[in-house]
Amino acid sequence: MTTYLGQLRAIVWKDLLVELRSRERLTAMGAFAVLAGVLFAFSIDTTTTRPQDVAAGLIWMTLVFGGLLGVGRTFHLEAQDAAFQGILTSPAPKDVVFLGKTLANFALLYVISLLVLFVFALFFGLELGPNVGWVVFVLGLGSLGFVALGTLFAAVSAGTTMGETLLPILIFPLLVPMVIYGVGATGRLIAGRPFSEIEGNVRMLGAFAVAALAVGAVLFRYVVED
Amino acid sequence: MPLADAAPSPVASLPVLEARRLTREYGPVVAVRDVDVSLEGGEFLVIFGPNGAGKSSLLGMLGGAMRPTSGQVLIRGRPISFSDGAWRRRVGILSHQGFLYARLTAEENLRFYGRLFGLDDLDDRIAQRLARVGLTERAGVQTRHLSHGMRQRLSLARALLHDPEVVLLDEPYTGLDPSASGVLREVLAELRDGDRTVVMVTHNLREGLDSATRVAIQVAGRFAWQGSRGDVHDQSFERHYHAVVEGRA
Repeated sequence: MTTYLGQLRAIVWKDLLVELRSRERLTAMGAFAVLAGVLFAFSIDTTTTRPQDVAAGLIWMTLVFGGLLGVGRTFHLEAQDAAFQGILTSPAPKDVVFLGKTLANFALLYVISLLVLFVFALFFGLELGPNVGWVVFVLGLGSLGFVALGTLFAAVSAGTTMGETLLPILIFPLLVPMVIYGVGATGRLIAGRPFSEIEGNVRMLGAFAVAALAVGAVLFRYVVED
Repeated sequence: MPLADAAPSPVASLPVLEARRLTREYGPVVAVRDVDVSLEGGEFLVIFGPNGAGKSSLLGMLGGAMRPTSGQVLIRGRPISFSDGAWRRRVGILSHQGFLYARLTAEENLRFYGRLFGLDDLDDRIAQRLARVGLTERAGVQTRHLSHGMRQRLSLARALLHDPEVVLLDEPYTGLDPSASGVLREVLAELRDGDRTVVMVTHNLREGLDSATRVAIQVAGRFAWQGSRGDVHDQSFERHYHAVVEGRA
């Protein structure tokens, strides 16, 4: 168990350190989040639509598309100097590799989800009040499910000639439940409704995240092994 | 009981590394065909062969980087398992690709792999391996700023970090300058003179023969010729090699 946790920590540490030094994915996702927020703000006719009414859907779309920019490149740096081959020929179980990379991706996407929330709050004039903590929690839960599926399918697409272009085609249909429950919960929280109204949505988001993590941990080895 | 009277351990008497009828197919192409190898501790097998002979595929299967289409790889008599990676602690792999992260320093790369292998006393191990390959002063340099030769030396330190019983080397001399080649040659000599089991794939006949205790020539997936180092004469080996590759021997 100690070795398992040590291996997990090593992969998370390595992925985050490499990202902090290259800032390749953070920059792309962050820039996308800000630009999308600004463009969406200008694309809404505020005389006919209240920004608060559409903000939840747009936040989640920004998160999904922005997240795809980062998660899709999970295995890009691994390909240089065949570094991933080094991990695969180490004793680290493949589920540890998957969980480590998923947790590192989660940390990055969670930072971006906070940025998305900030940008939308700013440009859409959202007043989250006491619900801000729950919005952050719901976005975190959604991000976890998203990166679990994203990491698995990024590995699938990295092994194909189509590469990253294949990723949205594979992953979008599977994200539908997450988006439905995430948008529903976020929309109500933005509208100032109490947590009790979104409890069911949160449970479904949690179940989605757990299922995505479990499926990913089991299937990852079949994806990455020769 | 006196040590001399003790019965030899059955595990110790088994070959360290064994391949049985190892075959690898890529669609209709058979890259490795029915290769049998059995190596004891201290044996250094060098495999020569032309491009496309299946040498790297064979090494990939021996190291568990790829599954054989048929056949088995055994370490100390136990078939390697893809679901349980514990046996991987006994194998070190050095490829012409370094398995290194460009944005990590030399020391961080070794620390990362050390943690994956669950090693203790990492500080000492890392310091010792870096010193052995002459990179102590570059420990804090990101590997993208190291020359190819230095990266290859660091990769050698990575491959040997966990003291593997079996060492697999795929074209380790590729692109090395004379200084880096010298370090590699010294380390390979240490491996040969120790009790490690080493398999090296190379095009470089001279470097290969320098290290070998056994030699094989692989052609079209098969071992077309193999023998002990004593069967090989340095002067005539190149002629012999070409004759085997061209099917004249």
